[in-house]
Amino acid sequence: MPKTDELLDVTEAVAPAAVHPPERRRRRLPRRPPPATAAVTALGLAIAALVLSGTPWLNGPAVAAWRTVCLAITVQALPFLLLGTALSGAINAFVPADLFTKVLPKRAVLAVPVAGLAGAVLPGCECASVPVANSLIRRGVTPAAAFAFLLSAPAINPIVLTATAVAFPGSPAMVLARLLASLATAAVMGWLWLWLGRAEWLRPVVRHTGHQHGHSRFTEFRLGFQHDFLHAGGFLVLGAMAAATFNVTVPRSVLDTFSGSPWLSVLFLAALAVVLAVCSEADAFVAASLTGFSPTARLAFMVVGPMVDLKLIALQAGTFGRAFAVRFSTATTVVAVAAGVLIGGALL
Amino acid sequence: MKRTAQITLLILTGLGLLHTALFTDLYLRYVKEGLRPLLIISGVLLLLLGLAHAAFDRDTGGKEDHDHAHGHDHSTAPRIAWLLFLPALSLLLYAPPALGAYTAAHAGRETVKQQKGFAALPATSPLPMTLTDFTTRVQQDKERAIRGRTVEMTGFVTPGHGGAWDLTRIIFTCCAADAQTVKIRMYGTPAPPANTWLAVTGTWHTQGALGTKSAAAALDVHGTRSIAQPVNAFTDDLPLTPTR
Repeated sequence: MPKTDELLDVTEAVAPAAVHPPERRRRRLPRRPPPATAAVTALGLAIAALVLSGTPWLNGPAVAAWRTVCLAITVQALPFLLLGTALSGAINAFVPADLFTKVLPKRAVLAVPVAGLAGAVLPGCECASVPVANSLIRRGVTPAAAFAFLLSAPAINPIVLTATAVAFPGSPAMVLARLLASLATAAVMGWLWLWLGRAEWLRPVVRHTGHQHGHSRFTEFRLGFQHDFLHAGGFLVLGAMAAATFNVTVPRSVLDTFSGSPWLSVLFLAALAVVLAVCSEADAFVAASLTGFSPTARLAFMVVGPMVDLKLIALQAGTFGRAFAVRFSTATTVVAVAAGVLIGGALL
Repeated sequence: MKRTAQITLLILTGLGLLHTALFTDLYLRYVKEGLRPLLIISGVLLLLLGLAHAAFDRDTGGKEDHDHAHGHDHSTAPRIAWLLFLPALSLLLYAPPALGAYTAAHAGRETVKQQKGFAALPATSPLPMTLTDFTTRVQQDKERAIRGRTVEMTGFVTPGHGGAWDLTRIIFTCCAADAQTVKIRMYGTPAPPANTWLAVTGTWHTQGALGTKSAAAALDVHGTRSIAQPVNAFTDDLPLTPTR
C-alpha cells in the first residue's frame, strides 16, 4: 500500500475497512460544491423561507399572476417534454444506428427538405422536438437535417394545422401559408447550416453512444429518458420564468400602438411571439384574436412562435450549448419573418 | 444531482401532477380541461421512473465521476434539474391562485370575431348569454334582436377607474399564458369587490349605434346575485344557474 494511503489511514481512523484503497483516496479529496450548485441551493432556501413565512409579497397580484403563468407554461409543456425525451431515449436505445442514414438521402442538401417534411409526423408542440432532434444528431443524422426537423415539427404537424384551420374559419389560405412558410424556413435554416454552420458552435454531444453490447436495452432507455427529461425540464422551468415575466409585465395596450404600420406590425408580432412563448397548438387562436393586425403580421407570429421563443431558446441552450442557441435563434427569426412576409404577401 | 435527489425530484413531480390533475381540479387554474389525461399519464410515468430508479439502479458511489469508458454518464443529472423542484413543490404545497382581476385589468379589450349570420334569440327572459355572444350580438347583429331584451351573464368583477367596473371572463385556449379577456362594462350599480363572481341581469346600455362596431359592450344592470366560482372558470360558458 502506498505511503500516502497509510498517512490517510492515520487521520481517518474510523474508515470502513471494506472500501478499496483507490476509491477511498478519491473520497478523501475535499469536495467543495461548485459555485452554481451553491447559488441554486441558496436560491432554493431563500424561496423556501419566503414561502414558509407566508410573506404577503408573494401573494401580491402581480407576483401571484407571474407564479400562475410560470407554472401554467411548465405544466402545459411537461407532457410534451416527456413525449420528446421518451422518443429521444427510444431512438437512442432501440433504433439501429444506420436506420436514419439509410432512410435519409445521402446528400445533405437533399436530406434537409426530407427531414423538414418528416416533421409532420411528430404530434405535439415545440418542447418535444428539441430532445428528439438532439438524439437524431447523436445517431449520426447530419445536424442540418436534424435542425430542419427541429424547426418544422412543431409548426406543420396535423394537430397544429387543424388548430389553425379552426382558429381561422373561412380562410384556408392561412393554413396553407403557415405550412409553406414554416417548411420554407426549416429548409432554408438547414441549408444555411450546411453553408455557414460550424461544428464547434455545438456542444460536443458524442457521449450518447446508443445501445452498448451487454447492457439491457430497456435500462438504457429508462436511464437516457430520465437524464434527458431532468436536463430539459430544468431549462424548461428557466424559459417559463422568462416568458412569464414578459407575459405579466407587458401591457396588451402596447399592441394598439403598432397595429397601424404594416412593417412595424410584422416585426412587433414576431417579437411578441418570441417573448410570449405560447404553445404552438394554441398560438393560432392568439393570432386570430389580434384582429387589429394584417394577416401577414399574424402569419409571421405563427411562423416565428413555434421556432423561436424564450423557453425554446433556454431548451436549445441547454441541449446544444449557448453559442449555438444565440446564433441559431437569431438567424431563424430573420428567416422566419422573411418567409412570413414573402409567402403572406403572395397568398394572403 | 445525486441519485437520492433525482428519485425525490421524479416522485415529487409525478405526485404534483397527479395531485393537480387527478385528485383535485387545481389543474383547471393553469391549463385547459383537455390536457387532463396527458397530465395524469405524465404523473404516473414520472412516479414509475422515480420508483424504478430507486429499485433497480444501485448507488455506485462516486465511481462514475471518472468513468467515461462506458460512454454517457446517466447516473448524475445536471444541476439545472434542481429548478424542477420549484414547480413540483409549488403544485404540491403552494398552488398559485387562479388568474383574476389583476390580469383582466391589464389585458386589452379583445375584439370579437366576425360572425356571419345570427339565429333568432330564444324567447326566455332573462336570456342567458355568454360575454362573447353578447358582445357579438351588440356589435354585429344587423337585426338588432338584442334591443330591449333582458339578458343574464356570469363572470367576475374587474374594477376600473373612477368607480367603473367590468363583468369579466378570462378564457384559456391552451394554458394561462395564452389567456384572453372579454369584458362587459356595467352601469347603474357601484362596483362590487374585485374578483367577486356574479350573475348579472340587465339590458344593453345605449351607447353608439346598435349592430355596428360603435356599439359599446355595456349593460344597464337591473340586478346582481353572488354565485360560486365555476369549477372550470376559464371558459366563456353559459351561466349554469338553477331556474327560479
